[in-house]
Amino acid sequence: MKFSDEFRDAQLGRALAGEILGTVEPGRHYKVMEVCGGHTHSIYKYGIDDLLPENVELVHGPGCPVCVIPMGRVDDGIAMARQPGVIFTCFGDMLRVPGSEHTLLDAKAQGADVRMVYSPLDALRIARENPEREVVFFAIGFETTAPSTALTLKRAKAEGIRNFSCMCNHVTIVPPLRALLESPDLRLDGFIGPGHVCTVVGARPFQFIPLDYGRPVVISGFEPLDILQSVVMILRQLREGRCCVENQYTRVVPWEGNLRALEAMSEVFALRPHFEWRGLGFISQSALKLTDRYSDLDAEARFEVPGVRIADPKACQCGEVLKGVIKPWECKVFGTACTPEHAIGTCMVSPEGACAAYYNYGRLAREKTAV
Amino acid sequence: MRVLSVSEEGAACLDEAGVRHEGVAVELVAPVEPGDRVLVHAGVAIA
Repeated sequence: MKFSDEFRDAQLGRALAGEILGTVEPGRHYKVMEVCGGHTHSIYKYGIDDLLPENVELVHGPGCPVCVIPMGRVDDGIAMARQPGVIFTCFGDMLRVPGSEHTLLDAKAQGADVRMVYSPLDALRIARENPEREVVFFAIGFETTAPSTALTLKRAKAEGIRNFSCMCNHVTIVPPLRALLESPDLRLDGFIGPGHVCTVVGARPFQFIPLDYGRPVVISGFEPLDILQSVVMILRQLREGRCCVENQYTRVVPWEGNLRALEAMSEVFALRPHFEWRGLGFISQSALKLTDRYSDLDAEARFEVPGVRIADPKACQCGEVLKGVIKPWECKVFGTACTPEHAIGTCMVSPEGACAAYYNYGRLAREKTAV
Repeated sequence: MRVLSVSEEGAACLDEAGVRHEGVAVELVAPVEPGDRVLVHAGVAIA
């Protein structure tokens, strides 16, 4: 497949690994954060960690959309799903995210009409087909997914569909990155920038990282050679004393982003004053709500929900994993009480979650090395 | 995904695994033509 196969070439991968080895300074330890959960998934799936020298450490960031949804929001979604006449729709990953007592999948098993959709446009189609029912879409995701919700809400309004509404949980990536950079817990040398978010927002929003914090950013694609090349580009900046935003993913990411997507988002969404992130707490202006013009399609205004903040289970260390403070296998319940089949924390639910990615791809290799 | 055809309902596209997807929204990247490659998230082409 064009644009995929040529970025999975093992020989080129080994050459890039050699280039990384030749670029690092002996005795220096490098910590590079991959912001996006898609990168985390690729790193474990393709064993990219194994190609890096010991002094280049990849740290997983907060860019998994499912992982950052707090338990209280899941409980609110379940409360909506249990209302008579409601068809509650969400992406497949979201079904297994634990709330305080149940998941949406539990609610479905108990009789609520919860349906998995691939796109918010599918939820809108369900609303068209069921005019006597209230259809709610549980919207999650970063700026990559927000345009699809915006487009769906624009269509719903244009068609005058009144039995459709959206519980908006969209989040934005820059505020948590700023929070991480302000954190005394973590020393990072550079960032692998989120390629698909940048497809929408462009490269400009990430310029604060080199300008305010003196760290390089390389916007990266998701194939193994993309990630290895991005590591090379970050290490080169560090070696040459440069610090800027570079775009490795030029085949997809324009510097200015997708202006039509941004326009649709600005029509439909406004920033929330603050939003709770699982494990990270409340972060100012880090999430989206519907604008006044679209408030009639806001599920939170249409249904009563508990709206209660729920603390994460004490055993769960998703917060530390999301901040890159610990690795998945350092969590007390990783692979024992918490597995993809019986997840305690969100990072074990989504394929983009660091714990699930490591459990599925990296765990056995590590166990083998330990033996 | 590779665009196979475009109609009022959206685009029919073929993904990397050879699966055909109907009704992909292409407003945000229009105009697209059969043979174009698009990046699709949640049923909407964003690049």
